[in-house]
Amino acid sequence: MRSKSTLLLNWTIPIVTVVVWEVFGRADLLPHYLSAPTLIVAALWELAISGELFVALAASLYRVALGFTIGMAMGIIAGLGAGIVPGVRHFFDPLVSFLYSIPKIAFLPIFLLLFGLGHASKISIIAFSVFFPVFVASRHAVLSINPILVWTAQNMGTPPRTIFFRVVIPAVAPQLFAGIRIGLAHAFVVLFAAELIGSKAGLANLISFGEEWVRFDIMFAGIVCFAVLGFVSDRILMAIRRHVLKGHLIGTEEQVVQ
Amino acid sequence: MIAQARKFIGRWYSIPLLLLLWQVAVGSGWVQSRLLPSPAAVWEVLEAEIGSGQLVYHASVTISRALMGFTLAGVVGIPFAAAMARSELWRNLFEPIFFMGYPIPKIALFPVFTYIFGIGSLSKIAFTFLECLYPIVVTCYFGFRGIQTRLVWTAQNFGARRAVILRRIILPAAMPNIFAGLRVALPVSIIVVVITEMIGDSIGLGYYITIWSTRFSFVNVYAAIFVIGVCGFVLDQCLLLVRSRAVYWQRESA
Repeated sequence: MRSKSTLLLNWTIPIVTVVVWEVFGRADLLPHYLSAPTLIVAALWELAISGELFVALAASLYRVALGFTIGMAMGIIAGLGAGIVPGVRHFFDPLVSFLYSIPKIAFLPIFLLLFGLGHASKISIIAFSVFFPVFVASRHAVLSINPILVWTAQNMGTPPRTIFFRVVIPAVAPQLFAGIRIGLAHAFVVLFAAELIGSKAGLANLISFGEEWVRFDIMFAGIVCFAVLGFVSDRILMAIRRHVLKGHLIGTEEQVVQ
Repeated sequence: MIAQARKFIGRWYSIPLLLLLWQVAVGSGWVQSRLLPSPAAVWEVLEAEIGSGQLVYHASVTISRALMGFTLAGVVGIPFAAAMARSELWRNLFEPIFFMGYPIPKIALFPVFTYIFGIGSLSKIAFTFLECLYPIVVTCYFGFRGIQTRLVWTAQNFGARRAVILRRIILPAAMPNIFAGLRVALPVSIIVVVITEMIGDSIGLGYYITIWSTRFSFVNVYAAIFVIGVCGFVLDQCLLLVRSRAVYWQRESA
């Protein structure tokens, strides 16, 4: 598929960065807060053996998974409702168009006081910020369905239930996934900020712990974990999307590039 | 006329209705909490804080940081995307950085930024730049790659010079995508600046929210949230206005 020279070029910048970082770090030419990559791996290993890493990872994963799922489910339900029923749409539209432009993290102090420093405040603010992109995507998706598709199905006497599951859902799925993907990205940003500002557990705490105790290798270990967590979740979402949308990738990014 | 009024009310009733419910719930003493001050109280504080210049000052700090990072990302990102779409070498070098790096939550790198650029404005602007760069480069890249080659061939056939082709063919064809990328990046810039200000600063709306919430004065927090919402809305409208001038042949599907 890809030639060897292309693959080599693809990996040039990451590999050069890591090598330069390592060599200069070992030679003490970099500021002390940039721990050498091998030291970061060592810190990861150390944290993994002591189990601290998994405790932090579990806390973060639990919050983001639950918050994301709740926010996504509510966004889809409200968004599809708003797309199908004009009354629901007219209720949500002014609210969403005002709240959409506000960074949801600004509500964090209120959520913290309402739900405390534990899991609940993080889960709820993640759900709150995931809701909006998912809602907007599903609302727009329903409204942009070609009405001929629905009319055709109605004309052939299809019951509304079947129209919903066989016409509406497949038609909105690509845009829905686009919204869900944005929501997932928001979830991680909010997770990090919420954990850093008011929390006692989680990956962001590991990072700020490393900072406070001048253990920059631990700080970077936390950063690496957080990045990998976000990256892997996105890949899982994309795999689900490919599976669901088999053969329906018309007009999406994959098709444009091919 | 009456039908129009009814339609208008049907479209916009939810915000006044919720505000009224909120006001009644707090005013009747049914809900009593410092967490939920009445809308009238928030409005009072909003007026006072805007009058004293406090909110205006913090908002101007936040907005100027967001716009600086955003503009920098646009100035660097758009030519970068064009180069990636045009040159195979650039594409092979940078495509994985942007496409694999896109889903990585970059926010975790912010502590490192504060070490490199300090705790002040510079680290926030640099970080906003990084966060805005990704959506701009990725969206513009698709725009530049999606240009139909026959348009370029036609221009070449008529003997157009490269600069003319760039200005008259490539830029206009990619313009809708450029604006799509900018429109994704603009709210990102505000979100990122507010978050980084909440994490650590002594000016800006994010700081304003943190400091007043530690003083348990949530009236001020709501006032600041309102100001952020208005700023985000106004900036988005400005971008749409510029877009309608620049891409006058295509309407934004709202």
